[in-house]
Amino acid sequence: MRLSLREVSLNFGGVRALDGVSFDVEPGSVHAVIGPNGAGKSSCFNAVCGIYAVGGSIRLGDRELTGLPPHVVAGLGVARAFQNIALGGADTVLDNLMVARHHLTGAGFVSAGLGLRRVRREEHRHRLRVTEIAEFSGLADVLDTPVAELSYGDRKRVEFARALAMEPRVLLLDEPVAGMTYHEKAATVALIRETREVLGVSVVLVEHDMPLVMGLADRITVLDFGRVIADGPPAHVREHPDVLRAYLGAHP
Amino acid sequence: MSRPTSKVTRYAGTAAALLLLLAMPYYLDAFWLQVGAFVMAAIIGAIGLTVLVGSAGQLSLAHAFFLAVGAYGYAFLAGEPGAGSAGTTLSGPGLPTTVAALLAVALAGAAGLAFSPVAGRLHGLYLGVASLGLVFLGQHVLFNARPVTGGFNGRPIPELSVLGFELTGDEPDLVLLGVPFGARERLWYMALLCAVAAYVVAGRIVRGRPGRALRLMRQNPIAAASMGVPLRRYRAGAFVFSAMYAGVAGILIALTARRVVPDHFGLVLSVEYLAMVVIGGLGSVRGAAVGAAFITGTPLVLSHYGDAIGVFARPGEDGIDAATAVRLLYGAAIVAFVIGSAQKGRPHAITITMDRARRALPGVSRRRLQRQGR
Repeated sequence: MRLSLREVSLNFGGVRALDGVSFDVEPGSVHAVIGPNGAGKSSCFNAVCGIYAVGGSIRLGDRELTGLPPHVVAGLGVARAFQNIALGGADTVLDNLMVARHHLTGAGFVSAGLGLRRVRREEHRHRLRVTEIAEFSGLADVLDTPVAELSYGDRKRVEFARALAMEPRVLLLDEPVAGMTYHEKAATVALIRETREVLGVSVVLVEHDMPLVMGLADRITVLDFGRVIADGPPAHVREHPDVLRAYLGAHP
Repeated sequence: MSRPTSKVTRYAGTAAALLLLLAMPYYLDAFWLQVGAFVMAAIIGAIGLTVLVGSAGQLSLAHAFFLAVGAYGYAFLAGEPGAGSAGTTLSGPGLPTTVAALLAVALAGAAGLAFSPVAGRLHGLYLGVASLGLVFLGQHVLFNARPVTGGFNGRPIPELSVLGFELTGDEPDLVLLGVPFGARERLWYMALLCAVAAYVVAGRIVRGRPGRALRLMRQNPIAAASMGVPLRRYRAGAFVFSAMYAGVAGILIALTARRVVPDHFGLVLSVEYLAMVVIGGLGSVRGAAVGAAFITGTPLVLSHYGDAIGVFARPGEDGIDAATAVRLLYGAAIVAFVIGSAQKGRPHAITITMDRARRALPGVSRRRLQRQGR
């Protein structure tokens, strides 16, 4: 499903965090959003997720996302992995992944409290699926481990798997390999590729690691000071004079 | 998390504990049965609060208010009109007692729901201070709405009965296995039934979908919303849940005490309930039960046997009398308990503070802290 942003703008006081940002994420593609610090990449994600109210239009397929609260956007199939790990530390990996099934399940205070058969079946079914996703993400061995006991790289991976466990149409990954070792990075890149191929999910990626982005993305949008300064395939973006200027301060 | 013990051992342990509790009325005298009923009422109230404060991360000092809504709701709805003490005239619809009890719980839930717009906007200490207002408001009403509450001297509590059988009174006579089943015995069983039900239901909620959503909401509301959790509804849900548990606890306290007075439902009671859930480890249902037993049971037992120990000053003499000694001992025990539970690094103990600290610290020290925390 296509995710399109049209003239999206966002102000924090007098600062224009996003200034008429437009780009399209093609279904089943890996789309990178890059730019220097403070360019508006994370704001872009927050806008798509419904955390910030923005001007302009953000559409997923035919659905308008602007103005919807975050939990509704999540229910429409937009999943996000956070840059600064946002997991429940004392909870196990399994419980953390099960939270992602929230919008796919229905047990409330009453039905869960009474332990209805419907609830037990639902729990069982989703546990099986989540276990599959954990295996896919290489987390099968740590399912019952509290997240706080995992290494940084593994927690990053749980963050990724949790987003996958939402069964999304669009997966937003905010710096998925930041702070990872060389091997962890390679594993995550393989995982992203596999996710796209096996699940056919569109992936939007914010990342600072340029070689990784150039090798992985089908298309790249470059932001600087809240504006799109370049948009196109990696080869095009790499040579773009504005991009060189923004990144290297080079004069054309 | 506790290591996975084998299911058989766990079930056997639970069954043994339940059997023991069921047999208690055959061995204990009226005093102990009454302590037991108070403890079980507190367990229910504390479980409600631990889900709110520990799982959902909503600090509430209003628990005494919701307890009062349950207790007075029952007293009023089941009460007959008549003369109260100190020249007050009591009013009351005189509803069947079971109906009154159910309505009182619903009323407590409704009070929780009414407060949820505030709870949805504030959190942490701010919510704590805002909820404090409810306690003062509640006590003001309790002292002054005399026809409903009986004012300063309170109101007597009608016995709870189902189809003419008093669950908390002496009518009709009942003798089981040679033991007369009077009010205290019946009350013990009713409180036990309620406490076990409350424990099981809360455990399922905490382990299930709502509990997972609440815990993530506490630790990272934006992440929870991005996972599809409607924050406002869950914040309200946690408040309603906790208020209804407090309502049940309030009714049991009223039935055990046989009279409700406004003084009981002050700020001190709210703080005692917070102490129960902190001692037990925030968010832990079992911990809340242990904390409730300790905080409620200890002072009752110590003051009962304080005189018998005989080392304390009699009233009027110089020195530390039994009641003061109890308070000192009890205060020291709370501090020891909290330090103990914090140092053992139990997964839930003082989770909120730890979460806050972790989030406030930059990456490296945060990770170090997390390692130390376990």
